[in-house]
Amino acid sequence: MEALRIISDEHRSLAALLHAIRFMLKEAMAGRLTPDLKLFEAMVHYLDAYAEQRHHPKEDLLFGYLAERTTEGAAALATLGTQHAAAAERIATLQQALAGFVADPAQLPVFSAAFDHYADFYRGHMMLEEDTVLPLIRQHLTAEDWVAVNAAFVAEQHAKSGKTGHSEDFAGLFSRLVAAAPAPIGLGGGAFVPLP
Amino acid sequence: MANNVLEVKGLSVAYGKVEAVSKISLSVGEGKIVTVIGPNGAGKTTTLSAIMGLLPSSGQVTFDGSIEQVPEVERMVVRGMNLVPEKRELFGSMSIEDNLLLGAFQRSRQGHRDHRETMEDVFALFPRLKERRQQAAGTMSGGERQMLAVGRALMAKPKLLMLDEPSLGLAPLIVREIFRIITELRQRGVSILLVEQNARAALQVADYAYVLENGGIKMQGEAEALRNDPRVIESYLGLASKHQDMLST
Repeated sequence: MEALRIISDEHRSLAALLHAIRFMLKEAMAGRLTPDLKLFEAMVHYLDAYAEQRHHPKEDLLFGYLAERTTEGAAALATLGTQHAAAAERIATLQQALAGFVADPAQLPVFSAAFDHYADFYRGHMMLEEDTVLPLIRQHLTAEDWVAVNAAFVAEQHAKSGKTGHSEDFAGLFSRLVAAAPAPIGLGGGAFVPLP
Repeated sequence: MANNVLEVKGLSVAYGKVEAVSKISLSVGEGKIVTVIGPNGAGKTTTLSAIMGLLPSSGQVTFDGSIEQVPEVERMVVRGMNLVPEKRELFGSMSIEDNLLLGAFQRSRQGHRDHRETMEDVFALFPRLKERRQQAAGTMSGGERQMLAVGRALMAKPKLLMLDEPSLGLAPLIVREIFRIITELRQRGVSILLVEQNARAALQVADYAYVLENGGIKMQGEAEALRNDPRVIESYLGLASKHQDMLST
């Protein structure tokens, strides 16, 4: 069940990142933190390029196997399918709010509200997956299904590890986000500097 | 598990008349991550301390093929076992670099002169420590302190690294990074015994796991099997609020 481990692992990364952004926004709104705009941009980029574009297609593959095995969870799968399909619109709304904030610092509350909406959505989304769909997947997928799914997940990880030059190095980006994020949620390494 | 770097048989530890750990057995395979999960007070830290020789115990500890009748801290470090304690126990007024050098003390006493190369390896793993190498350890954030504590232990070039609650008190973002580094250490050939209350994170990275409750091993198995075991899910992984804690601040 390597696929489930990968999904769960990615959920934790995503949740940790959402937690960090929420913390920074709260501190910025309270006037205790000078916002690092490049860091916010890099974090939102991670949400877009990793969570929305790379993570969800893997889930769609996995959920497809469940749909073939049972009608249990069909309503949840339909909801998740709709939510995955709306990824571009969802992230565009957040990016637009961030761009507004970058252009005009007075727009911080607008970005903060847009982010809260995004994070609240994601919490519900991940909880639906983990509490309803993943248990059904554990229950219904066959051994042959697992062989196929695990192989697909491992191949995807290998192809997009960021080490082959064919994809972005998301692990490296995540480490740089941790290093730049202010303490106590990060290492407080100072302003985030995007790679050239 | 073939090629075990650590085998513990019938380990018991008592605080006075109270037995904190009772006849537990566990093993760590070479190049593997083994985790011990369990609630507060289950005996996790006591177990690590006894294996390291920090607490008197009965039972048998076999490390790297040799039986240690009475584990003794300095000898265990020289033989290649090291512990990153829960409280980090750094020297706050000393620089990061000096804290690291202290980690190589026993190894230097044995005549090894590779501490500079080892420090560069540690800096490669923790670039943040290199950036701040001349700063006092006491000025570091919680995440940096944990990284320094792990880096100091690595200065002894351990075959077995024991980590006591490495995620304790750290924000989710840093916890993710610490666990990424733990998996990288495994890729470098370090065997790891990981004690964690954060069962979800521990089972994500571990190869094998033990569940410790009330001083005894209640369950054990491949980490993947335990991750998907309904009893573990119910008791340690939780059906609800998994992400609520992370997203609620």
